Amino acid sequence: MTSTRSLSRRSVLAGAGAAVAAPSIWTSAQAQAGNTIKIGMPLALTGPLGSVGQQQKRGAEFHTKWINDRGGILGRKVELLIEDTVGNPATCVRKAQEMVERHDVRLFTGITLSSEALAIVPKLNEWNSIFISSDNGDGRLTAASLVPNFFRANTSGPMGTRAVSLYLRETTHKKFFALGLDYAWGHNSVQVFEEEIKRMGREFVGKVFAPTGTKDYSTYITRLRQSGADAVYLVLAGDDNNAFIAQAAQYQLASRMALLAEQLELSTMRAVGDACLGMIVSARYAFTIDNPKNKEFVELWKKEYDGLVPDQFEGEQWQCQQVFVAGITKAGSIEADKLRPALEDLTIDDIKGKVHMRKCDHQGVQQGFVVKASKREGFSHPVPEVIATLAADRVTPPCNKMTYDD
Amino acid sequence: MSTLAFLLNQSVNALSQAALLFFLGVGLTLIFGIMRIVNFAHGTLYMLGAFVGYSAVRITGSYWGALVAAPLVVGLLGTAFEFGILRRLYRRDAHAFLMVTFGLALVTGEAVRLIWGSEALQVPAPALLSGVVFLLDEPFPVYRLFLAAAGAVMAFAIWQLLERTRLGLLIRATSQNAEMVHALGTDVNMIRSAVFGIGCGLAALGGVLAAPLVTASHGMAASAVIDAFVIVIIGGMGSFLGSLIGALLVAFVQVFGNYYYPDFALAFMYLLMLLVLVVRPGGLLGKEA
Repeated sequence: MTSTRSLSRRSVLAGAGAAVAAPSIWTSAQAQAGNTIKIGMPLALTGPLGSVGQQQKRGAEFHTKWINDRGGILGRKVELLIEDTVGNPATCVRKAQEMVERHDVRLFTGITLSSEALAIVPKLNEWNSIFISSDNGDGRLTAASLVPNFFRANTSGPMGTRAVSLYLRETTHKKFFALGLDYAWGHNSVQVFEEEIKRMGREFVGKVFAPTGTKDYSTYITRLRQSGADAVYLVLAGDDNNAFIAQAAQYQLASRMALLAEQLELSTMRAVGDACLGMIVSARYAFTIDNPKNKEFVELWKKEYDGLVPDQFEGEQWQCQQVFVAGITKAGSIEADKLRPALEDLTIDDIKGKVHMRKCDHQGVQQGFVVKASKREGFSHPVPEVIATLAADRVTPPCNKMTYDD
Repeated sequence: MSTLAFLLNQSVNALSQAALLFFLGVGLTLIFGIMRIVNFAHGTLYMLGAFVGYSAVRITGSYWGALVAAPLVVGLLGTAFEFGILRRLYRRDAHAFLMVTFGLALVTGEAVRLIWGSEALQVPAPALLSGVVFLLDEPFPVYRLFLAAAGAVMAFAIWQLLERTRLGLLIRATSQNAEMVHALGTDVNMIRSAVFGIGCGLAALGGVLAAPLVTASHGMAASAVIDAFVIVIIGGMGSFLGSLIGALLVAFVQVFGNYYYPDFALAFMYLLMLLVLVVRPGGLLGKEA
């Protein structure tokens, strides 16, 4: 009895010892986890813009795997924290806050909607976090709403609109109408387009906005037909883009007017098929962009994803991750106070050519591309063919502005 | 475009939208009438219909094949769900159904994502229906005419089923007094299974019919379930005719409201519902206040 008791006492002691030792094990595990570079991505993975969020996710995951295979950044592995926001700004803020408080996230990217991004940026200072946008279009983010910890690596809405407008100067369309999604990005881009058209001395005959998730676009199509315009500029994305283009083709709208758009992803081209043929679109990224880095990227992507080619926001997300890599490497840290100056005036040369993160408003100065939805051998659906490449200094607006002077 | 041409075009268009809404609403209302349960999975089954339709087009090579396959597959799934799960819950209160149909919506939504991926998929209208006709010199898609016709035919068929057939008689009787029907020697559970299956099948038919307009996408589910509820609330819970009137009202108000006041596009349906609820709290043709 006695020996058993002493044994049990010994095991109790051992247990106590383990319990005392445990915190130190826990700390080292923490330190190990803390050694990864965590990037928070509160994405709209579902909802009307779910297809955009899914692309951002794939783009970031592909890049993370690639960089981790090369030893990570500063010898630290990259770890993505991904949550679904359904595209709701309030949910986005809550999920981002959780990432900061529970997982000590100091880097953000991939926030899908501009309305979500506009809700996040006022918090960045309090969170001591850097947010590099990979797709947010709203011009205000680098103008009136600019905060020190926000950077935009992607082509903004005004820049996309500007690229198409510069292209339009070479065409003969006279009267323009605009249809946009009824939220921050749609309004912003339509406004920029209207100003561009007026400055060109051509006629802007009207605009209308549709709520995200609109199923029946027939009344909008009727409005377009009645406007007498010979070209319409569309600022739609995701499900709305699919629905509009499919229905416009059924109404044979393209026989009446040219369809121009700020956005036409490959996923939409696949979903609507030949209905989008001939559309002229500003592309933030296209797999057909002709430069060696892009060719290499497309081949890597095809290998990973069974021969599929990268879509617009997959390419944009890759470029954004490359900005992270260059910035963190230069700063030697992910601390906002060190990373911010490192990102300012940083230049990378990647899949879209040179991107210069200018200091004045944190916008990535980069080339603009105009593409046409065309048939191409080896593809069962239309693909974007680059028809114009526009110089970075013509496409990027003056500092802290979202409109252009010329 | 003349005013007359405009009105004609938009009215026919509203009829085509009403047809889609009717397929959603009538299934929900039939299920409620018989089982006194609100099927939260209705929008998801509508979406499932579109995706099953996509696969059916791929397999059979024909849109017509999809029109048959989608309601059939989803209807059978609905029947199996009633048979396997819902049936065990009839003695419980309404919360149990709420939870379990909501669960069905979540599981089905994720299953669709796993099977078909998360991108929208193309379901083209058949060549026969992909042209335009000219209504007073204005082009109008043949496919939308087809939708309006399909809605009218199905409304008539369901009405005949309910009024003229023995199954219809039993459905109406069960909705009035299930215990009495049971006491008279009819297997009420069989009727419930059948009605749940028919309701789900009708939602799927709506989904596969909507697919050429909006592509088969995950976004279909969320708005569809809200539309279906609004129609049923406007028409009156459990009323067949109510769901038809509700669908027509919502479609016309949305189409014309969207055109004249695009800034309030989202509000019209709810304003209509509010108005109906103020005037008739039980819905236009509903019995329960």
